[in-house]
Amino acid sequence: MRKIIAVFVMFLVVGSVALLSACAPKQKAPSVIKFGSAMSLTGKYAREGKFYKDGYLLWEKKINKAGGIKVNGKAYKVKVIIYDDESNPAKSQKLYEKLVTSDKVNFLLGPYSSGITIPDSSIAERYKIPMIEGGGASGKIFSRGYKYIFGTLPAAGNYFKNTIEMLHMMAYTGKNSAKTIEVVHSDSAFDNAVAAGAVRWVKAFGLKLTGVQEYPSGSNDLSSVLTKIKKSNPDVVLVAGHTHDALLFIKQAKENKVNTKLMAFTVGVQAVDFRQSLGNDANYAVGVTPWLASMNFKGAVFGTASEFAKTFKAAYGYAPDYHAASAVAGALAFQSAITKANSLDPKKVRDALASLDLKTMYGEVKFQANGQIAKGQAVIQVQNGKAYAVFPKQIAQKELLYPAPSWDKR
Amino acid sequence: MFELQIIINGLLLGGLYALMAIGMSLIWGVTNVVNLAHGALIMLGAYTTFWLFKLLHLDPFISLAASFAVLFVFGFLIQKYIINFVIRAKMFITLLLTFGLDILITNVAQTAWTSNFRQTSPSYASNGFSYGIITVPYVRLAAFAISIALVFALYLFLKKTKTGQAIRAVSQDIDAARLMGINVANTFAVTFGIGAGLAGVAGSMIGVLIPITPHMGEILTLKSFVIALIGGLGTIFGPLVGGLFLGLVETFGSFHLGAKYADVIVFGILVATLIIKPTGILGKNNE
Repeated sequence: MRKIIAVFVMFLVVGSVALLSACAPKQKAPSVIKFGSAMSLTGKYAREGKFYKDGYLLWEKKINKAGGIKVNGKAYKVKVIIYDDESNPAKSQKLYEKLVTSDKVNFLLGPYSSGITIPDSSIAERYKIPMIEGGGASGKIFSRGYKYIFGTLPAAGNYFKNTIEMLHMMAYTGKNSAKTIEVVHSDSAFDNAVAAGAVRWVKAFGLKLTGVQEYPSGSNDLSSVLTKIKKSNPDVVLVAGHTHDALLFIKQAKENKVNTKLMAFTVGVQAVDFRQSLGNDANYAVGVTPWLASMNFKGAVFGTASEFAKTFKAAYGYAPDYHAASAVAGALAFQSAITKANSLDPKKVRDALASLDLKTMYGEVKFQANGQIAKGQAVIQVQNGKAYAVFPKQIAQKELLYPAPSWDKR
Repeated sequence: MFELQIIINGLLLGGLYALMAIGMSLIWGVTNVVNLAHGALIMLGAYTTFWLFKLLHLDPFISLAASFAVLFVFGFLIQKYIINFVIRAKMFITLLLTFGLDILITNVAQTAWTSNFRQTSPSYASNGFSYGIITVPYVRLAAFAISIALVFALYLFLKKTKTGQAIRAVSQDIDAARLMGINVANTFAVTFGIGAGLAGVAGSMIGVLIPITPHMGEILTLKSFVIALIGGLGTIFGPLVGGLFLGLVETFGSFHLGAKYADVIVFGILVATLIIKPTGILGKNNE
């Protein structure tokens, strides 16, 4: 009897968890445009997944409050269905199949991370339903000639372009020379693409590469990578990895007293919890971001970038970073394309997206022929616990602090 | 000189690995439960220390004791009121059960504390000694020392105390132990409590060294599993030997072959161990 009860309790535990994570309301109300997304709400991307979910839902609320989207004179409410893919690409694919075949959504909003977006984009293409994704930047998403996938993050290969250009310009100013660069990246699809692009740009801008190191994604020990950097002693290291990796890299760099003149990262530096968890050690870290609340962007629905940030914070209690802004930009692109096409036909909306040129609080949303947004990255640096744009000059809020002082002098 | 640094890094990493694996190895060796929620328990230890540091400014080395106590009670209750019901069922059932617990604990933690990155960051967190280019971080050195101290403390506990002897008796033969008047269910619960407490201590240290998130446990469970197997199940010194061995080989291999091979090295060693000596480095062959 005891055993039976125990097994029952166990199934209850496992089952309730499965239910909690998988259940989502199914509604079949008329006059609704349905958007579907499988997002990483649990698992290793849960943190970023929440940013996208909150972004999508903020947009949903805002649009419905304003009366929805008008198509052919008829107002439609919008409904965003979001499932949890548990940060698992296989699960995500199944959920997108479900969204298309069983929930019969009109349009697809993307998942988070390149590794998950690559397989999911094939589903959008197969069913010829446009997907706008704000969470995958790898070139592999856009290099297969697909017609139904659009992305609002700048190309992965160009993530470090502005950073390297900035270093290249410094080489001419004399006192601040940065000549040698080491590239460190995780083995994920996205970071591979970032690193390959970085290596190309380092060469194109005439700087010297001291080495390229790859480590397993999610690694909890980067001491060997750092010891190698100590040995090759570059002026600058560029790190392409997720936030966890950037945090660990800085911590272990301090532990191992690795003092480069500059450490630059792809993801992490723009986030508030990155700076909170590192405290003073976050200072001088350089990052990139397609969006900051302080940038000079403005659009019809959410107003300026800073107004959007205020609305978002009021709704969720935390300040948005570029992930949420990118998510909302994708949703806004759909809204505009549907209005422009004046139809819910996937093909017509797809064509409207391809020729879209929309001003938003995320900047200009205009897709290249391959579907990826034409957009650059601002270089940011943490100074006194806050992130400021330092390059390009037009949008710089502060001068780059370079070289960073060694760890024992901070 | 760089080679010396690599050896130091490897030993320090190994110490941390050993600390992670002691609890898992103990529970596995005694109750025959492969605790897939082990990483989640480490995560809870990390949060315990983090919150005590953040809210009460308690030094992580002091809150080690609190971590142990909290996780001991938690582990004791889990074993007594959940796992004990299926302890004699097939291993698959306990695997499934602890897998479910892992998901449950992780998701409750995520709901309670969000997925934001946290770090226990006392002022000395990333500091250390240095001699020329060689550096030895304080916290890693301390974790190494704690790891060795705990292994010896556990050894003495199991050999010298009555409870320890009961644990060993139960691990050898449940029925014989019961005939000798040992309360098997309680002994299992105490064992699981100690294992969870040790995971808590590991979490306290790890929370100073690597970023804390509710999902940090997944990869730690896997590492602890590998270390426990390599070191030898049911042996007290197994996790220490396995941890140091793995730490050294992983660090050395990462440095010379490239960090991208770290996982290949770790799981390659696991496979090699299972083929050459399935009972682990210190395990007896007649199991």
